[in-house]
Amino acid sequence: MDLVLRTAFVFLLILVITRSVGRRELSSMEPLDLILLVVMGDLIQQGVTQSDNSLTGTTVVLATLAVLIVATTYLSFRFQRLRPLLEGEPIVLIADGELRRHALRRQRITVDEVIAEARQAQIGSLDDVRYAVLETSGKISFVTRSG
Amino acid sequence: MTDSFQTLADGPEPRALGSGLWLRRAIVALLALVVALALLDVFGQRATTSSAASDGATLQLRAPSTVRGGLLFQSRIVITARHTLDHPRLILDRGWFEGMQVNSITPQPVGQDLRDGDRVVLSFSSLDAGATLTVWLQFQVDPTNIGRRAYGVELDDAEQPVAHVSRKLTVLP
Repeated sequence: MDLVLRTAFVFLLILVITRSVGRRELSSMEPLDLILLVVMGDLIQQGVTQSDNSLTGTTVVLATLAVLIVATTYLSFRFQRLRPLLEGEPIVLIADGELRRHALRRQRITVDEVIAEARQAQIGSLDDVRYAVLETSGKISFVTRSG
Repeated sequence: MTDSFQTLADGPEPRALGSGLWLRRAIVALLALVVALALLDVFGQRATTSSAASDGATLQLRAPSTVRGGLLFQSRIVITARHTLDHPRLILDRGWFEGMQVNSITPQPVGQDLRDGDRVVLSFSSLDAGATLTVWLQFQVDPTNIGRRAYGVELDDAEQPVAHVSRKLTVLP
């Protein structure tokens, strides 16, 4: 029983932490993000399985995580009101070619980062962008004026 | 490019939306069953109590009946003497020490011996009528120690059997 409860607690804790630190951290792999993801993974293992070396323990933890993920995605699918809480909402960063600096500031994203993301989407200039949206995954999607 | 999408759209319904979906649901149901069984402590390691009583004493053993490799666990034996026990001895079945790391036995027995070749005898100081002796034993399970073993305990006064608790301990892989 303790394994299931510890796994459920850690699952909720990770959900709260990842939703709190901001979505950009989820999609990038810069030094600070590495600290969060790698160190967190190591600490979680110790907290959940402790000294348990058994296959049974591993099976119980994986089964619990799988059930929690299926349950969370089902709740998010079934109840629209829960969706922003569990998955977040897309945030418009550029609308009709205009940068929404307030949204950028709130998400701790610089204009240079948006430009870099645009370059990776084969867009040479922000002048060509009609819409830029920060998706719930942390990626930025673009709609060009020509598109 | 459009053709490749059209081929997919016009093709038969993918298995992921038919039989594949039911297979996924069955697997998730199986995983949910594992979680439910774990919540019911089927995979260890909630402690349960077993007791035995006689004219001479009551003997109580509190220990998990299922454990998993690597985990620490505690067994507690409580003896309550009804008559004076001059030479109380606990005789532990083989499963107590087979593939187990013994972290501590508190209080320390005044003597240790072996009986029947593989049962460990722990001797303690005399116990007056009405007095209680609690012995805590701390273990860690060797991860390779898989199986089901005798985990009973017998209370003797010298060589005279007083009470016996019969238990099994299952070590899961």
